[in-house]
Amino acid sequence: MSVAGNGSGPAIEYRGVFKAFDEPVLSGVTLSVERGEMFALFGPSGTGKSVLLKTTIALVTPDRGDVMVGGESVYFGGRDVLERIRRKVGFVFQYAALFDSLTVFENIEIGIPEENLKRMGANAVAQRVWESLELVNLDPKQVLGKLPSELSGGMKKRVGIARAISGRPEILLWDEPTTGLDPVNTAAIERLITQLSEDLHVTSLLVTHDIEGGLDMCDRVAMLEGGSLRFCGSPDDFRASDDAVVKAFIDRKAAIAALDTLEIR
Amino acid sequence: MSRQSSSVWAPSRFAGRFFVSVERWSRFIAEHAGQIGLLIWNMLAACARLRVPRRDILRQLHIIGIQSVPIVVVAAALIGVVTSQQGGYQMQSQIPLYIMGSVVVESVVLEMGPVLTAIVMIGRVGARITAELGTMKVSEQIDALQSVGRDPVEILAAPRVLAMIISMPLLVSMANLVGITTGMISAQYTLGLGQETFFYGARLFWHSYDIVYSLLKALVFGAAIPIIAIHMGLRTSGGAEGVGRATTHAVVFMTLTILVIDALFPPLFLN
Ligand SMILES: Nc1ncnc2c1ncn2[C@@H]1O[C@H](COP(=O)(O)OP(=O)(O)OP(=O)(O)O)[C@@H](O)[C@H]1O
Ligand SMILES: [Mg+2]
Repeated sequence: MSVAGNGSGPAIEYRGVFKAFDEPVLSGVTLSVERGEMFALFGPSGTGKSVLLKTTIALVTPDRGDVMVGGESVYFGGRDVLERIRRKVGFVFQYAALFDSLTVFENIEIGIPEENLKRMGANAVAQRVWESLELVNLDPKQVLGKLPSELSGGMKKRVGIARAISGRPEILLWDEPTTGLDPVNTAAIERLITQLSEDLHVTSLLVTHDIEGGLDMCDRVAMLEGGSLRFCGSPDDFRASDDAVVKAFIDRKAAIAALDTLEIR
Repeated sequence: MSRQSSSVWAPSRFAGRFFVSVERWSRFIAEHAGQIGLLIWNMLAACARLRVPRRDILRQLHIIGIQSVPIVVVAAALIGVVTSQQGGYQMQSQIPLYIMGSVVVESVVLEMGPVLTAIVMIGRVGARITAELGTMKVSEQIDALQSVGRDPVEILAAPRVLAMIISMPLLVSMANLVGITTGMISAQYTLGLGQETFFYGARLFWHSYDIVYSLLKALVFGAAIPIIAIHMGLRTSGGAEGVGRATTHAVVFMTLTILVIDALFPPLFLN
């Protein structure tokens, strides 16, 4: 896995991203994630965290604004730039999004860029798939030949993570990677995220509802609420914040109090 | 609002509603036309850059072409019989019986062969493509494909369209042969029209252009069906119900398109 890419500037930069479906979802999100950084994004359910992640590689096209990845524009750079960006970004989907007609092996193999597949040869590819499964704490012997419909929810999720890392991306976007996993597997995934960042300088943008986990692991955190950033700063500042919404996310008592006073849905 | 005032306003309200619906319809048509145009353009680009996986084309040729042979043959056989029987029923007394040869051959080759094969393929292949891609769309598999740097147009759309464009002329040729054969046999048994007389009549009005016309139809239908099916599949939203809805709409859209294209063929190509 290579150290941060060519060019300069932040790994990911959201520039005034607007997106409305039936109602406005993102109303001008500006945020940058530095190279090699681990960044956690919190926020109530339905505020557009998944939508924001998807705008990073043009799976959802914003109505206004742009996203820069490694200094290149996702929306104004043309087809080749977008292709290059998608090759160096790995995406962990909230609901795994495995290809249901492909086996686990094929699902992970497809995460490796086409030109690398040709160069690597069959053995190296099989080796890479195997390693990726071990990294997400799955037994390759057991799952390689299975179809997604034969896996449990938590196993699917981890196969989705294996697919995202098999191409050795420089940047990883994690949409709730540990939601629905047992504590041991949660620890395995958290260790994987940390390792990727520390050993290989992979940039990670992590959407999670596990606030404590996010605050412990990440260099910076942000809170998306009501279509824009409510907070962006260090974990310590987050813990010390006076903001009622932020407090409600840290403290169970504050959350209960917020049920009656704040407009969080 | 009192009854009187509402009746005074009725015409302009009607006009207002009319314009709103015209506006909505034109936006609807423009949106579909734009998306289909883009899809075709991207597909041509993918083919030009030789980025369509050959393995997928072969797989689709098997599913779309070879597996459709039985149903196409059965449909064509029945069409031949029906055309010949109906023709025979209308053709008593004055009209010479050898005309039947021409009636069967021309209606099978010019119309029944291509159109009925297309209708069969809408049900067998078009609906399947929409449901397949629609399910992939609503379960984020299309997103996932893009996220790993693969292009759904190259990997999913182009192989299906190419396979269909290759298959349709072959299937229609087969349908034509089968339909003519069963029509001839049926004429022999029910009208006592011998083979030689049948072909004498057929040759009398035959232009070799007719086969070009038939295969041209096959080609155009073969492109239109999968393109609409893919377009409808890729814009599916709303879970299982959405997939069902998209598939129904796609079948209606494909059927109407085939019939409209079919209606345009005589003025464009039969002069
Ligand atoms: N494809 C879509 N079509 C219409 N509306 C959408 C679409 N995708 C997302 N939305 C809407 O955008 C809003 C944000 O959705 P999103 O999935 O980003 O939420 P989220 O912050 O990830 O929530 P959660 O924590 O529950 O995953 C929701 O109100 C949702 O209804
Ligand atoms: Mg989400």
